[in-house]
Amino acid sequence: MKLKVLFLLLVLPAFSQAADLVAKKVKEEFNKVLDPYAAYWLQAPEVELSLMAQPMMKPKPEKTETSLMKVQVLHNGNYIAFRLRWKDTEKSEAGKLGEFSDAVALEFPVKSNENPPSVIMGGKGDPVHMFHWRAQYQYDEEHGKKDIKDIYPNLAVDTYHMDYPDNGNWQGATQDQKEAYMHGMAAGNPQSFAKRAVDEIMAEGFGSSAVRKDQDSFGKGEWKNGEWTVVISRALKRDKGSVLEEGKGSSVAFAVWQGGKDEVGSRKALTLYWTPLKVEGL
Amino acid sequence: MARVKNWQINREMDYPYSESRPKKQWSIIFDLNKCIACQTCSLACKTTWTSGKGQEYMFWNNVETKPYGSYPLAWDVKILERLGQQAWKAKEPYYGKTIFEAANANEVVAHFHPKDEDWMYPNVGEDDCAGNVPHGDHITLPHDKWFFYLPRTCAHCTYPACLASCPRKAIYKREEDGIVLIDQSRCKGYGECVRACPYKKSMYNTHTRVSEKCIGCFPAVEQGLQPMCVQNCIGKIRIMGFVNPPWKMRKNNPIDYLIHDQQIALPYYPQLGLEPNIYYIPPIHADREYLTQMFGPNVDQAIERYKKLKDDPVTQGLLVLMGSTDRIMHSFDVKDGIAYGYDEKGDEVVRVPVTEPFIERTAYDANIKSLRNNTP
Ligand code: SF4
Ligand code: SF4
Repeated sequence: MKLKVLFLLLVLPAFSQAADLVAKKVKEEFNKVLDPYAAYWLQAPEVELSLMAQPMMKPKPEKTETSLMKVQVLHNGNYIAFRLRWKDTEKSEAGKLGEFSDAVALEFPVKSNENPPSVIMGGKGDPVHMFHWRAQYQYDEEHGKKDIKDIYPNLAVDTYHMDYPDNGNWQGATQDQKEAYMHGMAAGNPQSFAKRAVDEIMAEGFGSSAVRKDQDSFGKGEWKNGEWTVVISRALKRDKGSVLEEGKGSSVAFAVWQGGKDEVGSRKALTLYWTPLKVEGL
Repeated sequence: MARVKNWQINREMDYPYSESRPKKQWSIIFDLNKCIACQTCSLACKTTWTSGKGQEYMFWNNVETKPYGSYPLAWDVKILERLGQQAWKAKEPYYGKTIFEAANANEVVAHFHPKDEDWMYPNVGEDDCAGNVPHGDHITLPHDKWFFYLPRTCAHCTYPACLASCPRKAIYKREEDGIVLIDQSRCKGYGECVRACPYKKSMYNTHTRVSEKCIGCFPAVEQGLQPMCVQNCIGKIRIMGFVNPPWKMRKNNPIDYLIHDQQIALPYYPQLGLEPNIYYIPPIHADREYLTQMFGPNVDQAIERYKKLKDDPVTQGLLVLMGSTDRIMHSFDVKDGIAYGYDEKGDEVVRVPVTEPFIERTAYDANIKSLRNNTP
């Protein structure tokens, strides 16, 4: 594995991008759910980045499903907003067995913006801070988490434990008592509860990612004519996380999942390098 | 990739992690000659563990009719197809590929991903016979028109494909009893284990949005009790205990005795390379080629030995101990027509006669001076 990392680092400069990302400063409100088609995006220069199938960690995707992503960035001194566009022939929000969600993630270094760690999930003692938007999570935020009857309308069930219809003699169980029979919930897994559109995640290497309990970020995506347009805004300064400073440079990386093509987890397309990001002063 | 020893295929093989055998290995043996597909085991499991939302379709324990039944649909046919044709000669190691060795460069294992609807017919093919039975037909052994019931749980494999394929390392194998668990607090529902398990015993919960699987009834096992599917088996076809690898086998351990000493209980689809820890006494009446594909080339020998059980009071004794106690038997003994089962400390937990006494009820009951009448 180590050898492979070294090899990748050596060949990486060959992939370096035509243009760095520059976040212009504007007087817009970004600490809320944004409109992906707001007029202010017209002032933000667009940079096209190339992605490739995740090559390091099995299981890997068979091929690169998403090879290009268009990125625009703006900030207002407190929050920074990213507008991301990529082609995807179908909208996938997951739900049924074996269905996965479309998703996109931003990744930032934590310790040093100039000397970032491994672009693939960071390294031990050198964490990365990720902002992971999923179409499925956005559905949760906008409509609430899908109930089993929303996923399978024709499903027939006699009864669930602790969930009998109240015929007068049953007081009704608490949510906690019901959740005891739903193992992910009983274990307190954030995945099992209604989400906000964006998850903030910290990681120190493969398989180490953990969802942050506190969030200061927003996401909104729209799928139109075979293309996703997703905006993610986040506070410039996150406690025990990524801190971006006005007038200074940093780095960012991107990953995209096409749920309809069975992409999930390590099956994703990503930018195999850190893209320089400049947060402009006034 | 590490090289690990897999005794079921009698050779070393590739596996992503190095060999690390648990102190004890959870195991169930099923006597397929006795299963009646009553599904009591499936329901015992369902009411205990999978009655919640998102688990409606789940059967951590299921019983399917072979050859036409399968849950999920065609799991066995599909994984054998992915593996491709492989050869295995009797008395030789298996030199064909395992699913770890047959994987393409992007994958941990050769696998297939069941579709949503594949899970929706747990009873498909039930009681379907492998051929038509024309009028006037008669039975030979093995039957030329055959079917048999195959009860299945997770095999708590020595080399689990589910564990190997989880990119989050959210699956672990317990050191104390070899039970394989998905950490319900860390799983993110990528479903890699669902894709990778060739036996399709890892399942995705659409309500909690994480994957789940048979937990071997570990809370019972920790108290010296057998799992619910074993305790409740109507046909008394099951025994749960701990299996040792052949180089550590202990002859008075009921599991080791049937698997290693008598060699009448065989792992299913051992060629997949997971060293699964559910074992079957093959059905004597079913098609031998089919059984060879499922249980490997030693199936003939196992069946011949099973057919001679009438001359073997010790094995007979052990078979009557099956289903006679809820407790886990770590050792057994057969003396003077009585079979004894002992727990881990060596205390007796059960004793049963190898042959039940034969009692003849005469037509006349002298005690009450009356004829016994069984006319309805
Ligand atoms: S049977 Fe499947 S789910 Fe169970 S341990 Fe083996 S690979 Fe994992
Ligand atoms: S309870 Fe026993 S006899 Fe009944 S189906 Fe299950 S394994 Fe077979």
